[in-house]
Amino acid sequence: MKAGKKRLNIWLVITLAILALFLVFVVFPMGLILYKSVLMEDGSISFAYFTKFFSKKFYWSTLVNSFKVTIASTLVSAVLGLIMAYVLRSVKIKGSKFLNILIVISYLSPPFIGAYAWVQLLGRNGFITRILNSLFNVKLGGIYGFTGIVLVFSLQSFPLVYMYVSGALKNLDNSLNEAAESLGCTVFQRVWRIIVPLVTPTLLASSLLVFMRVFSDFGTPMLIGEGYKTFPVLLYSQFMGEVSTDDHYAAALCVIVIGITLIMFFLQKYIGNRLTYSMSALKPMEAENATGIRNILAHIFVYVVVLIAILPQLTVVVTSFLETKGASYTGQFTLENYKNILMPKNISTITNTYKFGLIAILLVVIIGVLVSYLTVRKRSFLTSILDTLTMFPYIIPGSVLGISFLYAFNKRPLLLSGTAIIVIISLCIRRMPYTIRSSTAIIGQISPSIEEAAISLGATEMKSFIKITVPMMMAGVLSGAIMSWITLISELSSSIILYTSKTQTLTVAIYAEVIRSNFGNAAAYSTILTITSIISLLIFFKVSGNNDISV
Amino acid sequence: MSVAISIENVVKKFGKETVIDGLSLDIKPGEFFTLLGPSGCGKTTLLRMIIGFNTIEGGQIKIDGKVINDIPTNKRNMGMVFQNYAIFPHMTVKDNIAFGLKNRKVSKDEIEKKVDEILKVVKIDHLKDRKPQKLSGGQQQRIALARAIVIHPEVLLMDEPLSNLDAKLRIEMRNAIKQIQQQVGITTVYVTHDQEEALAVSDRIAVMNGGVIQQIDTPKNIYQRPANTFVSTFIGLSNIMNGVIESNDNGKAIVRIGNYKFQMNNIKKDAGSDIPVKVSIRPEEFIINKETQEGIPVTVKNSVFLGIATHYFVVTNEGQEMEVIQNSDLEELIPNGSKIHLKLQVQKVNVFNADGSESLIDREVRL
Repeated sequence: MKAGKKRLNIWLVITLAILALFLVFVVFPMGLILYKSVLMEDGSISFAYFTKFFSKKFYWSTLVNSFKVTIASTLVSAVLGLIMAYVLRSVKIKGSKFLNILIVISYLSPPFIGAYAWVQLLGRNGFITRILNSLFNVKLGGIYGFTGIVLVFSLQSFPLVYMYVSGALKNLDNSLNEAAESLGCTVFQRVWRIIVPLVTPTLLASSLLVFMRVFSDFGTPMLIGEGYKTFPVLLYSQFMGEVSTDDHYAAALCVIVIGITLIMFFLQKYIGNRLTYSMSALKPMEAENATGIRNILAHIFVYVVVLIAILPQLTVVVTSFLETKGASYTGQFTLENYKNILMPKNISTITNTYKFGLIAILLVVIIGVLVSYLTVRKRSFLTSILDTLTMFPYIIPGSVLGISFLYAFNKRPLLLSGTAIIVIISLCIRRMPYTIRSSTAIIGQISPSIEEAAISLGATEMKSFIKITVPMMMAGVLSGAIMSWITLISELSSSIILYTSKTQTLTVAIYAEVIRSNFGNAAAYSTILTITSIISLLIFFKVSGNNDISV
Repeated sequence: MSVAISIENVVKKFGKETVIDGLSLDIKPGEFFTLLGPSGCGKTTLLRMIIGFNTIEGGQIKIDGKVINDIPTNKRNMGMVFQNYAIFPHMTVKDNIAFGLKNRKVSKDEIEKKVDEILKVVKIDHLKDRKPQKLSGGQQQRIALARAIVIHPEVLLMDEPLSNLDAKLRIEMRNAIKQIQQQVGITTVYVTHDQEEALAVSDRIAVMNGGVIQQIDTPKNIYQRPANTFVSTFIGLSNIMNGVIESNDNGKAIVRIGNYKFQMNNIKKDAGSDIPVKVSIRPEEFIINKETQEGIPVTVKNSVFLGIATHYFVVTNEGQEMEVIQNSDLEELIPNGSKIHLKLQVQKVNVFNADGSESLIDREVRL
């Protein structure tokens, strides 16, 4: 692709600059974690911290618990998401567009908000629990522990599977269905033997995302787990605990999490690669009007699932208008909660969220587009390193990233802890792999000859990139950026570790208010977050011009 | 103002693999020159070396005697038309065409004038302010052509520009391209794998295979006097039969296929005698002999009536399958299974050495 040596230079400079950024903000912190995890206090190297973890039941049982809730929630999400996707693609459901938006909203809110909302509904003192108690004159204990965690995670994560599988079903040509039918397949055989195998790679990929999200989430088990301690809770308490904190032990825990997510990632890649089919539908499956009992059942199923999924959001919005007295509600409607969070002179929590989110998105988009361009169009040894390196954050859980940042950037010359910069960078790093992947897909669809045409007409490479490639990518990148933005403003697990009073964001504030039992304020903050997400989502639909979402 | 291109001993390597190893050819000023060959023969690679998208690992390419190896593409002043048109989808037709002029810092009025002119030449002036996405393939290709020639390039390069069009449009566009090229008079290098297209548009054709040029000649010579059996079978259809030159008296030779002997007067004098040869016969060079036993004995397997001509699929006694084309006449088709004899239009037939690499026809001889 290159004719002169001079022209490569600008791209080489960009490659090296981005590589340097990732070395400082990904490789260095991760390396430090690895180093700390085997470094003893006397300066010797040993695996003592790992032995400590695996020899005490108090520690390793958290890992078992994590696996239990993660596998259970992933399975429920996968089944629920698959069925929802199939039903909504094959049967015409009234109001399906609206339902779609509700499903996306229920996914986009941070999981711990779901946890706290479910406690409000089904907890010891929950709204529904109290009704049941008085109706049947019993004393229900409420859902905590394993059941509670799995309930919250499943409802929160099935939309992800739903969105992915729904997208895959769209690419499935209806003639496959018709062929199977003409060969004598019943409806169930058809679903099981044709559709499920074809969407399996997608199902696996989305299940992996669910797995990673659930496995590394600590807010939910913290709020609804009670005695049921999962690994991220242990990690958080080892690092942030009030009694004793042990940096090196926490580092070892981080290494264990990364090891597990890494194995999952390669497992999914291995299975996914073996099962991938390329499909493009000339005649996609069309939702048909079902009749009779089938129609009624489909409607009931879809509506009930969506209602349950969106219930936490509704709860939050309603309770945000309820008057509170301590941790309980008086039953009166009020705007007091909003007054509490908006009237103080310092509303930096809200402005921070928007400011950090916007700056991070801007950086992510610029770097993401450059990296994807470099790895697709300027293949070389350096850019393939860049490709691998920039995908690495994909498997780093937020809390681990947060902890590694605190380790790495609390000393001069890289004294960043406590600043807004460190929060913004962590947001960037967390979102980077997703943006790069979607930009890479977009560039892959632009024929290289379009840029060559520009060059043959006398444009420099840089000019053809800026004038031709970037404008062609813009629509796709922009809609991706809006989705990233929604994800970023809901981010908790790294912000909770990195924040200070000056850099507090909405999610951190919600979490803090919930812990302090200030449910009114928490609900008001959550409502602001939800409304922001809904507005962003509507902008997304406007920009992308369709209702398909990939996260 | 047209320029000559001379390609001298160029080498192209992709990694360790050498795709083109010392290829040379000369293109005359104003010529419509076509690189023709099967896919993977290196024709597009060579074209991309001329424009500069591919580096040159050895030898040199000269434009009017000036070496251009190290001149970057955007300074080479060459126009290129791509297989997939490569129209900028976010710009109007006018902006697409003006793109190259803007890069050359041409004044606004001048751009307007030149764009209008060229739109008339390619006959899409009514589409000036449209976005290209909704336009047909033929219209998009006209934009691509206009965009490439409006900058007055020294050389126009076209990479399979018609392969994405349907059959009818392809013929219309190839006539348009030929006509516009003659009108503008730019030295043009055209790449295609479609032999009929190459024959239709080119002044000269270079037939390539495996990175090596097999023959450079006019379309007529390429078809009628191919340089080897690759060319004779790649361009059009040829039946290759084993034969023997029995005697060669100063170019007047007796050639034998099986038991069928015929005289040829245009065999090379130094070809020798009593040597095995390959005889290349096009389907239309057979004469069906139903009366006598003279000729190559074959059995009719199948026939297809196509209006202008009738195709017979025959098999020799040795089991070789061949195709014979006859102008359709009013008589009944020869029934399948008939045994017939085939004579040859010996003036048109080509004879090659035993491995098919070299023609034994003396092209100086007037028949």
